[in-house]
Amino acid sequence: MAAKKAGPGSLKLSAVLDLNEASVLHGKLMSMRGSDLVIDASGVERVGVQCAQVLVAGVMAWKEDKKSFLVEKASDAFQKTMQLIGIDTDNLIAKEI
Amino acid sequence: MDMNEIKEIFFQECEEQLAELESGLLKLNDGDRDPETVNAVFRAVHSIKGGAGAFGLDDLVSFAHVFETTLDCVRSGKLEPGQDVLKVMLKSADVLADLVSASRDGGSVDESRTRGLVKELEALANGELPSASGHEAPKPAAKAASAAPQEETPKPTDESGFQPIPFSFDGFDDEEPVFEGSIYEVTFKPRRELYSKGNEAALLLRDLSRIGEMSIACDMDELPALDKMDPEASYFSWKISLKTNKGEDDIRTVFEFAEWDCDLEVKLAEEASTDEELPMIPVPFDLSILDDASAAEEEDKAVEPSAVEETAAAAVSAAKVATGIVKAADAAARVAEKKDAASSAAAAAQNNAAAAAAAAGQTIRVDLDRVDRLINLVGELVINQAMLSQSVIENDTNGTSSINMGLEELQQLTREIQDSVMAIRAQPVKPVFQRMSRIVREVADMVGKQIRLVTEGENTEVDKTVIDKLAEPLTHMIRNAVDHGIETPEKREAAGKNPEGTVKLSAKHRSGRILIELQDDGAGINRERVRQKAIDNDLIAADANLSDDEIDNLIFMPGFSTADKISDISGRGVGMDVVKRSIQALGGRISISSRPGHGSTFTMSLPLTLAVLDGMVVTVAGQTLVVPLTAIVETLQPEASAIHSFGANQRLISIRNSFCPLVDVGRILNFRAIQANPVDGVALLVESEGGGQRALMVDAIQGQRQVVIKSLEANYTHVPGIAAATILGDGRVALILDVDAVVAASRGQSLKPEMALKPEMSLAATG
Repeated sequence: MAAKKAGPGSLKLSAVLDLNEASVLHGKLMSMRGSDLVIDASGVERVGVQCAQVLVAGVMAWKEDKKSFLVEKASDAFQKTMQLIGIDTDNLIAKEI
Repeated sequence: MDMNEIKEIFFQECEEQLAELESGLLKLNDGDRDPETVNAVFRAVHSIKGGAGAFGLDDLVSFAHVFETTLDCVRSGKLEPGQDVLKVMLKSADVLADLVSASRDGGSVDESRTRGLVKELEALANGELPSASGHEAPKPAAKAASAAPQEETPKPTDESGFQPIPFSFDGFDDEEPVFEGSIYEVTFKPRRELYSKGNEAALLLRDLSRIGEMSIACDMDELPALDKMDPEASYFSWKISLKTNKGEDDIRTVFEFAEWDCDLEVKLAEEASTDEELPMIPVPFDLSILDDASAAEEEDKAVEPSAVEETAAAAVSAAKVATGIVKAADAAARVAEKKDAASSAAAAAQNNAAAAAAAAGQTIRVDLDRVDRLINLVGELVINQAMLSQSVIENDTNGTSSINMGLEELQQLTREIQDSVMAIRAQPVKPVFQRMSRIVREVADMVGKQIRLVTEGENTEVDKTVIDKLAEPLTHMIRNAVDHGIETPEKREAAGKNPEGTVKLSAKHRSGRILIELQDDGAGINRERVRQKAIDNDLIAADANLSDDEIDNLIFMPGFSTADKISDISGRGVGMDVVKRSIQALGGRISISSRPGHGSTFTMSLPLTLAVLDGMVVTVAGQTLVVPLTAIVETLQPEASAIHSFGANQRLISIRNSFCPLVDVGRILNFRAIQANPVDGVALLVESEGGGQRALMVDAIQGQRQVVIKSLEANYTHVPGIAAATILGDGRVALILDVDAVVAASRGQSLKPEMALKPEMSLAATG
């Protein structure tokens, strides 16, 4: 279930972003800091709040680093859950931050 | 924690839930219409179902499901919980308890009974009142007539006759018209535990969104920087504005399983408007999210079969009734959504246990062995402390006051520790009493009587060992009271009584003992018949002149039964003598009083604990003995003029113008061959069974102290006339006198082993 690297500076999210995935995702993001990043959320089927927390923290970290953090190809499930838990999609799925 | 442990916890919690369920139902039966009582009952069944689903206990799930559905009708006010309805519910609670124990210990349950009840419950849920015959199945036509939309879905029927039952959503709209379109402000802040127990805030929010129109604002203020965050902690919280026609309870129900792991506030928006902190960002909602989610759940391979059925039912209803699928989907989603279904359910069950515990103060679950070990150690400590102070007193002739003061403090502390430790083992008699209500119901049903069990003082606490041993004799007596004590409704009416008989079970503390009374308002003991029976059975001589009290006490004789016909329930000629023996084995006494036409009362007096005892230390023929203080009425120094000879070697002592047989303890226990002179010793006036008094003669009184009971059987062998042993401060072993056995022996009966404590009944604290 680990997130796979889809190339330099890009990260493909796992299908199930649950409690177990939160730490994995956190680790991945930590290791990718300092460069622009493209997140591929096309394969996401389920998102837990804890992964959402990590992603939002990621957005803020990248913003601080003045690098781009781009979420591409968000799946329906990803978008709908984010919407459900009240995360303004502009915060996360922003074009350029 | 492996699966079996989790399962064991689940079953322990089932026990609690079942107790909750039964007491709730009984409250309803007594006319309590508090919605919280109904909710508690519903929750109990719901939690059992939830946990059982995770362990694949399909029989349990299916029955609990049907039960829950019917309870939901009561909860929503569709079904009035009248006597007839509650009768079915109480029976269902019994079956649920049977199913739980069958799931735990193996074995089977009465299938036909379960199926019959499922049908009755379904009938109730469909708005039919229980038929007179009880077990008759509702006609298919009647079911079709009720025409719930779910009726058209295929109904997988398994062996237990389980059919998914439609939830009564139609009743929801007019359920609480007061809240029509109210806006609630919900603040939801999950804690870390919520996630670690396998709950998911997103799912709770999704469930919430199904209740009504929701707009949500996520508060991210607490989210730390990426490098400082703990990915498994909880930082987000939500402010939700929910427009719904449901009540606050329905909103809280969504968070039912997570309630203890989050901060939750639900209030009407009008009240909330003053302290608005967060700007509300309304998020538009399309319900297609929900449909997707249900569809995904349906496809989930890990789902329990029953959960699939539920989900299917929920999905159908979701299509028909877009809102209000909260409960069905809630349960299904819960099972389906988690990869580790078991841990989530266990967590859910834990939450509920926490809920139950919080209501009754904080508790922890401790293995009984550990408590027993602690009690044993404290017993040793008490003995050690006594030995220490004795040796200090013996050696320290100067009487250094600081040492003595320290010792006194130590003594007080040990006494306090001992009391506190004993209190750990003390438990309310409630579970035993609750079991009795089931026995009353079942036996009354069998013999066709109407009987109400009234309990009083269920929270009276007594040592766990006593509670465990109490169930059996109580069961016997309750059966007797129902079978023999209470008359048939016709006879009662003829006698001008309420056709419904009452059996009252009460417990209270009385001078360091627990007093349990079982009272029935039946016909009382038919003394003429008892007497005749005793004569027939050669228990008494035909011309014996017996007082009423003595006749009443004949029923405790072995082999005595007055039942004309031997029934399944009682009347096999074993019973009251066994009851008496078990009560005696617990160091208790039992007595009976009866008023013809008004009923009988059995009174049992039991020690609060079997581990320590307040005793009077006495000397008899150079031996040190301990006489239980509870048995002693008074002590006196006999004067020569008060002693009268009677018969060959009997003596009486006259105390305040009445005569009381004098019992020479040293002689009875064979400590000495010749009778001692009463004037040289002390007489202990004791109360023996049956209320008679005897004067036990001992040589001298050494003092009064609390002793730790050590089983003689476990460490040596049974000694007639001796109940147990203890270790005194000087390290010597002293024997604890079995007063009743000694008194019985003085009446010419030999000291039979069964008169004293039986080995397995012997005392809790064995060294």
